[in-house]
Amino acid sequence: MEAITSVMPEIQEEPQAPTLINGSQALMRALVAEGVETIFGYPGGAIMPVYDALYDFQDQINHILVRHEQGAAHAAEGYARVTGRAGVCLVTSGPGATNLVTGIADALIDSTPMVCIVGQVGKKLLGTDAFQEADVMGVTMPITKWNYQITSADEVPDVLAKAFYIAQSGRPGPVLIDITKSAQLELMTRPFAYERCQNIISYRPRLVPKRDQVEAAARLINEAKRPYALVGHGVQIAKAEDELRLFVEKTGIPVATTLLGQSTIPTNHPLYVGWLGMHGNYGPNVLTDEADVIIAIGMRFDDRVTGDASKYIRQAKVIHIEIDPSEIDKIIRADAPVVGDAKEVLKALLPLVHPNDHTVWRNEFRKYDAIEHESITVPELTSTEGKIRMAEVIDLVSKKTKGEAILVTDVGQHQMMASRYYQFRRPNSLVTSGGMGTMGFALPAAFGAKVGAPDREVVAIIGDGCFQMTLQELGTIVQNKQPVKAIILNNNFLGMVRQWQQLFHERRYSFVELQNPDFITIAKGFGMAGHTCDQRDNLSASLDQMLAHDGPYLLEVIVEKEENVFPMVPAGASVSQIRLK
Amino acid sequence: MTTYTICIFTENTIGLLNRITIIFTRRRINIESLTVSETERKGVSRFTIVIKHDSREAVEKLVRQIRKIVEVMAVFGYLNDEIVFNEIALFKVSTPLGGKALDVETINTRYKAWVVYWGLDYVVIEKTGAETEIFDFFSYLRQQHEILEFVRSGRVAVGKTEKGLVEYLPEAEWAYYL
Ligand SMILES: Cc1ncc(C[n+]2csc(CCOP(=O)(O)OP(=O)(O)O)c2C)c(N)n1
Repeated sequence: MEAITSVMPEIQEEPQAPTLINGSQALMRALVAEGVETIFGYPGGAIMPVYDALYDFQDQINHILVRHEQGAAHAAEGYARVTGRAGVCLVTSGPGATNLVTGIADALIDSTPMVCIVGQVGKKLLGTDAFQEADVMGVTMPITKWNYQITSADEVPDVLAKAFYIAQSGRPGPVLIDITKSAQLELMTRPFAYERCQNIISYRPRLVPKRDQVEAAARLINEAKRPYALVGHGVQIAKAEDELRLFVEKTGIPVATTLLGQSTIPTNHPLYVGWLGMHGNYGPNVLTDEADVIIAIGMRFDDRVTGDASKYIRQAKVIHIEIDPSEIDKIIRADAPVVGDAKEVLKALLPLVHPNDHTVWRNEFRKYDAIEHESITVPELTSTEGKIRMAEVIDLVSKKTKGEAILVTDVGQHQMMASRYYQFRRPNSLVTSGGMGTMGFALPAAFGAKVGAPDREVVAIIGDGCFQMTLQELGTIVQNKQPVKAIILNNNFLGMVRQWQQLFHERRYSFVELQNPDFITIAKGFGMAGHTCDQRDNLSASLDQMLAHDGPYLLEVIVEKEENVFPMVPAGASVSQIRLK
Repeated sequence: MTTYTICIFTENTIGLLNRITIIFTRRRINIESLTVSETERKGVSRFTIVIKHDSREAVEKLVRQIRKIVEVMAVFGYLNDEIVFNEIALFKVSTPLGGKALDVETINTRYKAWVVYWGLDYVVIEKTGAETEIFDFFSYLRQQHEILEFVRSGRVAVGKTEKGLVEYLPEAEWAYYL
């Protein structure tokens, strides 16, 4: 040993100092290693070193400068929803970070993968109320799946790997990384190396279900006389659309979706019976109270779906297929819980279930369909009097895009109308804010969706109230030349609130009328083409013009001022008390 | 109201206490006591949280929500008869010159408490035990002497199973409470 060490200095070459990079450069390398192609962001003092590093990575990472951080968050959500990969936001400390909050909360409740990278003041300034310091960790703790503060450059690769793993696995959700300016600037003490995270000791989502749980579920399904599948967003997150279709086709079970579950199965599929919830279809709501076995897949019994939960499906045995075990028994007690990824569970279930003929039971749905069709759909689609109705617009959009578009909606009456009348053909085609109901979601989310799915037509349906919450993102859309088609359904009201005031507050219209700007002039100001359609006779041509336009386009349609969305389950009522008028 | 003891095994990271307590506050559940320390395994902390609740179902849901936190390795909810538990209390008792003498024998034999510090004109007595035992001792002492300071810790508890549950952590095959 000794002899060797003593000759070492002579035979050794001049030691090469490893090239050490700083935290910001490490961050860039980590994003590239993670396969991130697009970032939605907005710079500022506490994230400047990262933006400086980004300058050298422009050919690998497409950074999109939004107009407001809320826009970045919703764009990242739109991107994530259509790609299934985490949307990435990059913003500065303090106000930059707090402006993300709405979007983060929205992503959490709708299980949308997102990684937010947020600048923070230098380590020495932490806790001193320094310029643009906000306790972002504290603020976002209850609305993130995970958050972490990086205070040294060496932490960057491992923490980023963990962030992407947590955001995208199990039940997806938003993750926030707060990185101090000092960590962005300081050099790593070791060469950069990146390894994707594959597991975390304390976090192990169960993908493959337990055999006995699957068998118990299969037994219930095989014995059921009036089985009924309720499908949520979880099926699309798991990319289990094919498995679902095979499952219902083999068993003959009628299937309804939640709002976010729409487009999982084509609207015209013979086994699809419509959607559930406060403004969902008539039959699917009423008949949940008639089924003997409910198969809930990747859905969480939101109160907008259950109405009064104490009166919901008390007659049926419930099979709950869920990746998040804390959802089991949370709202509705499950007789046969199956914890696992929807795709894995359906794959396991498929060989165990028997072919069945449930035609008689399925036809009951058709009876209710006929009633709904006659009392709501036909009048809405064939009116010749008064202003254009929202239903007509959506129906035409659906026909003209052949149900192939990605529909992005905002929140309100237009959202429910879009869901009612668009005939989805392809999976992953409805992007909407379900759990949070965030006004201002659609315009930036549509942009993000178009970035994520450039080959698909993206049409946003937006209320006049919602549009004014994030309309500045027209600038982002124009600057990035993304051919998003946005339709404002302008009723000069905060329509959904007005509807409630009409129905439940004796028409006391308290602060719901809007004095609107000239939307098309605004669009033109941003350099975006558009026009207003006020006449039923022009509607079809207006839509053709919008869809044919090469580039982003804003179409404003002046619609009936005081229209209501029906069916409706009044708040606090049970689903069978659904009203047709 | 039933008393539940919730034991949470977590990675030892900053901010976790916050993340855990948010889950209680959001559901408007009051924390009666909370004790945290590192376990014999480095980097693994054990939280012992005592709550009172009248719905077992609600406590089960709470346990699942806690389990959902990324850094949480395992959570156990126990009823009192499923655990061995204790608290520790310190009493600072005034013993002025010429005052009433401390009845050390009674304190030791009847109350199983010990004087752990002799000050110039006070003593500090330590007593471990269940809440009721500690308050029994409190009443006794107050009748005899002036209590200058009194402090009681949160509950510490171990399950009545053979092995310390922390032994199983590396396998990480935690049941999903179903
Ligand atoms: C940020 C936010 N604020 C308030 C609400 C409550 N809210 C729900 S729908 C709605 C009205 C939306 O009006 P508009 O965009 O004009 O759409 P419409 O209902 O008329 O189609 C309001 C105010 C909300 N969902 N989000």
